Amino acid sequence: MTSPNAEGWTVVVGVKQVPDSDEVRIDPDTGRLDRANAPAVLNGPDRDALEAALSIRDAVGGTVTAITMGPPTATAVLEEAVAMGCDDAALVTDRAFAGSDTWPTSYALAMAAKHLNADVVVCGEETTDSSTGQVPPGIAAHNGWAQLTYVEDVEPLPEENRLAARRDVEGGHERVAADLPVVVAVAYGEFDARPAGLHRKIFAENDFEPDQLTAEDLSIDPGDVGMDASPTQVGGMDTVEPVERKNEILEDVADLLEPIAATAEVDG
Amino acid sequence: MSDDVRVNGEEPTTGEAESPDYDNAFDAIVVGAGLAGSAAAVTMANEGLDVLVIERGRYPGAKNVFGGVLYTPTLRELVDVTAAPVERYVAEKRFSMLSETDETAVSLRPGEWHDPPHNDSYTVLRGEFDRWFAEQAVEAGAVLVTETTVTGLLRDDSGKRIRGVETDRPDGAITADYVVLAEGGNSLVSEGADLKSVERAENIAVGVKEVLEFPENDTAIPDRFRLSDDAGASYHYFGEGAVGSAVGGGFIYTNEDTISVGLAYRLADARGRQPKPEQTLNAFKSHPAVAPLVRGARTVEYGAKTIPEGGHESVPQLVHDGAVVVGDAAGLVLNNGVHLEGTNMAIESGHLAGEAIAAAAQRGRTDEAALRSYPERLEASFVVKNLERYGWLMERVEADRDLIFEELPHALADAGAEYFRMDREPKEHHAEAARDRVLEAVGGWRGAAKLAYRYREVIR
Repeated sequence: MTSPNAEGWTVVVGVKQVPDSDEVRIDPDTGRLDRANAPAVLNGPDRDALEAALSIRDAVGGTVTAITMGPPTATAVLEEAVAMGCDDAALVTDRAFAGSDTWPTSYALAMAAKHLNADVVVCGEETTDSSTGQVPPGIAAHNGWAQLTYVEDVEPLPEENRLAARRDVEGGHERVAADLPVVVAVAYGEFDARPAGLHRKIFAENDFEPDQLTAEDLSIDPGDVGMDASPTQVGGMDTVEPVERKNEILEDVADLLEPIAATAEVDG
Repeated sequence: MSDDVRVNGEEPTTGEAESPDYDNAFDAIVVGAGLAGSAAAVTMANEGLDVLVIERGRYPGAKNVFGGVLYTPTLRELVDVTAAPVERYVAEKRFSMLSETDETAVSLRPGEWHDPPHNDSYTVLRGEFDRWFAEQAVEAGAVLVTETTVTGLLRDDSGKRIRGVETDRPDGAITADYVVLAEGGNSLVSEGADLKSVERAENIAVGVKEVLEFPENDTAIPDRFRLSDDAGASYHYFGEGAVGSAVGGGFIYTNEDTISVGLAYRLADARGRQPKPEQTLNAFKSHPAVAPLVRGARTVEYGAKTIPEGGHESVPQLVHDGAVVVGDAAGLVLNNGVHLEGTNMAIESGHLAGEAIAAAAQRGRTDEAALRSYPERLEASFVVKNLERYGWLMERVEADRDLIFEELPHALADAGAEYFRMDREPKEHHAEAARDRVLEAVGGWRGAAKLAYRYREVIR
């Protein structure tokens, strides 16, 4: 799809606005999370994604464009991305997207990445308000692109038109290279986000307006997104009561042997 | 935003193309979005200037757990205060002398204070109020940038003219014709740039404050402070029961559903004989006259700050070529025991400085002479008049500290006890005993007369 590009790579980074997890409180009367009163902020793991994306641009040139799906108020996180150094940002927004779960969300973002001719899509590991981690692999799956998850370090290989990454795996790490276009989900806490420059921050917050991409712009059939296209069904929500544990205080260590031996017998 | 900003948001840049450059895009940079800074920003924005406000906190007021009573005469001229997030209007001012175990108090509850504008006195929580006030500046056209700390000033080649500020961000220098230093009592930028000398310890007070809530007790505040509706109380305490042997006092202000409890006393005392501020505050909260007011309360915020209180002599040079100093940074705080006021002086100084800059900008000048109307009008205003009027008081109080903070509170309490003693002696004897007890403390009729003469200015 993409050939080695002297102009550098087109990097798209997905970000999301979430309730500030430091400020989410539990309603003392109902026991439910009060998300509505928490200020909306940039999802923490997305800072790692932004830093990874900008470091790829530093290495091979090109552009970084931040995208988010959400209502116009989500523009604030795009401003933050531009303040950090993204060249541009786009708001994927349409009434048709309302109520989307991870399936149509990753579909819409995949179509946006295609629309922007992405060579690399970088996302955070997960969002702090839903913690599924499904969206980055979903983007790759919808577009039939390669995916690299739990990435601790990135190494662009522009001559080969490939991106190598160090992945966190159980018991250590592995180094993998993927052909472009590729979707990268970076491991939380592995990339130290750069502070926004002063002039860039003033620009992003006051003079920058993101482009808006609607379902029509992205050639998305409204029937393929939104609540009705979301396979997730929430059956109900319950507060889990703490389980009463059986406590027994033994005066003598030797008294422990008998119950342990009894358990061992069951296991054979 | 001015038209001379060089990057236009409608055509976002690509690649490493032009990076935005706001040097001289703004007429003025305000350092700090507290009361003085926002007052200056609102004033200048209303005069048509392009203003950039730089705040180090996550939002204005985030770094300020202080405040208490806000006095609003000037504020009312600047913004529509009806929407301001005030907690309660001050319906009662109470002044208490505390010895270790006694309280002798005077309470003022003029009926007039219940009517708007409520003597222009409201309790506020600065975290909320400062945020709102800065929003008014933004609505007037100012640009606010948060989480950014100004680390120094930029000067021209001659070193005379101040051209802008340096911040802790990458690409962090920015220039503008005027800089308003509204950085507060801990004025590291002004001191670092030699715009003011480092304040001597005897001229700095340390303030500690807690905000307390009453869990599952919605009537604690109205019941304990005898309040209805939006009425609030401001209690001031003096004497060794408040701050031990230090020069200073304590306070309790009622907010909507919390109370602010704190102490302010001289840093020299805090460093020397005094135990830690937290211990002093806990001792104050345990005083028999205070403990019932805070019983069952839970701390929701704790903070400490420095308060400049050198009075008129400590006010530094307020104007420089291209810069002005306002608010606490300029030592414009009145803390003499009877009056504890910094907020109205901060707002007034910010406002006057903003007007002086707007006038100078119209003439295209930045020099000191062009900005002189700020210190001149400040001299003529209540701000400096009050500082002058009470400047002598701190020295007197220091000279008489044992009498005022220890002997007199005891004597007054004893005298009260004598006067109202329930026994079988005639009342006349009680009155004599009470009088004798006070006279003993102040050194007889002669001493009382001298004392009255020394402090006559307080009630002039």
